[in-house]
Amino acid sequence: MALQTNGIVLENREIKPLYFLLEIHCPSIATIIRPGQFIMLKVSDNNHPFLRRPFSVYRCYSDDQPDKKKKGNLWVLYKMVGQGTQKMTEFKEGQRVDIIGPLGNGFTLPPLPSSTDIIFVGGGVGIATLSPLAERLAIGKWFVFIGGKTQNDILCSSDFKRLNSNIFIATEDGSLGFKGTVIDLFLSHRKRFKRSESNYLYACGPMGMLRGLARTIRLKQFVCQASLESRMGCGFGACWGCVVKTTDPKIPYQRVCKEGPVFNLKEIVWE
Amino acid sequence: MGIMASSVQNPDLSVKIGRIRLKNPVIVASGTFGFGEEYEDFFDLSRLGAIIPKGISLKPMAGNHPPRIFETEGGIINSIGLQNPGFQDFIKDKLPYYKRIRSHLIINFFGNTQKEYVELARRFDEVPEISGLEMNISCPNIRKGGIVFGSNPKMAYHLVRKVRKSTKLTLIVKLSPNVTDIKLMAKSAEDGGADAVSLVNTFKAMAFNIHSRKPELGNLIGGLSGPAIKPIALRMVWEASQAVKIPVIGMGGIMKAEDAIEFILVGASAVQIGSANLVNPRTAIEVIDGIEKYLIQNQIKRVKKLTCLFRPHL
Repeated sequence: MALQTNGIVLENREIKPLYFLLEIHCPSIATIIRPGQFIMLKVSDNNHPFLRRPFSVYRCYSDDQPDKKKKGNLWVLYKMVGQGTQKMTEFKEGQRVDIIGPLGNGFTLPPLPSSTDIIFVGGGVGIATLSPLAERLAIGKWFVFIGGKTQNDILCSSDFKRLNSNIFIATEDGSLGFKGTVIDLFLSHRKRFKRSESNYLYACGPMGMLRGLARTIRLKQFVCQASLESRMGCGFGACWGCVVKTTDPKIPYQRVCKEGPVFNLKEIVWE
Repeated sequence: MGIMASSVQNPDLSVKIGRIRLKNPVIVASGTFGFGEEYEDFFDLSRLGAIIPKGISLKPMAGNHPPRIFETEGGIINSIGLQNPGFQDFIKDKLPYYKRIRSHLIINFFGNTQKEYVELARRFDEVPEISGLEMNISCPNIRKGGIVFGSNPKMAYHLVRKVRKSTKLTLIVKLSPNVTDIKLMAKSAEDGGADAVSLVNTFKAMAFNIHSRKPELGNLIGGLSGPAIKPIALRMVWEASQAVKIPVIGMGGIMKAEDAIEFILVGASAVQIGSANLVNPRTAIEVIDGIEKYLIQNQIKRVKKLTCLFRPHL
């Protein structure tokens, strides 16, 4: 069930150039949202910009968290890229923000045998969508591929380090780790993974990255859940503006906000 | 206290469109309200004057290639392309939902040919849950359906006349603003036998990306809606209201009660909320409450009185 409610900004901090961490007190959503689901934020009081902005939740603390002070808070990790996120950088402590959520279908967390390889592939700010998922998964054999244009665009690597996973970093300019795309890096390590259907791959990033990934997993080596990005009108399924083409024979254009944002990557049709 | 007793406390918000009596003049516009169920988490749908779900065609439609939506200054351009499950699946999968909603259901429909329009009207006429029909002759996003009929007064007149003969339901004709003379189009619909006209649909529009040097919409051209179009929409609703004797349903960029009241003052009997639903799903409820408050503050007994300011014959 989605709610339209007001959250209160607790902190809005630039953690590195262009990247911000927004902390909002919003217990009604923070306590029920699952990894991969998202919220729609109203970024201004007037009609500029007109539409809400979709964000996945980077962290949310519900009752089971040890730090009681953080209970009912949620965090959004965002990059300042356009008019909407520019407005968001002006959010001040104590300010009310209109939020709709939780929205969409998140990642499914299947019971995994300990022998399963779990692979994360995240591009840019997309890795912030995968980080809370990793927190929920049982400790297994993890491989985390993080990519970005430059060193500045590599996020959340310390989250995964804390979880004891194998981390591989790629930057397009070579300023950190492997020089190239995260897909190139993933490909160069593919032999590490067992040839079985039981390998789980979770991905989030720009459509270009997901398209590249879709091409590399044609070998049926993985079960792949990918969280898609799309321009959204409403975020709750009313406008059919955010659709993506799928292999569904009856309704090829599925809503990223409603049937997604997490899809089986093999069901996406790339054109 | 004596003055209080005679004052307006519960103004009459009801309006009549054709054979339907709406409990209030606020309708949610086709294409911006899904099939209704998408909004049930946000408010009680039974409070609405009427619900108009996504437009329905005879056969299912896949819709346009994405990207389908682009934000502009004070609005959005969309090219959804009337994606819908078609008549049969709508009746089977979507219609049962409305049985528990105490609000009028008006069906927006369109065809590629005159025959399809007539066939759909005939089929919907037999469905008891439906209170009225809104025939879309104005969608800018598909080549055949709609706009061809919606920009030619003679064709519109003949099409409306044919559809009128195939249904007893209240018939609303949704007009396109992409015409030279809206008065002529409204009059054609009235002469063809429409019970009401609704306007405006979206304005044909486009946006281009200077970095990729590609259009922002997969369909190249889309329709502009939102507050950016409100002043033009208001002028067109005024012109249509002056041209016909049937009720006019006004829409175009309504974000709040004050906007809706403007449309009613220039002659609209009811209003439709469109793009605003996407941004604030509770807009329609806020508009209903706001109109009621306005009537109380100004001690006006009926919302109809506002419509009659420039349309005394209604």
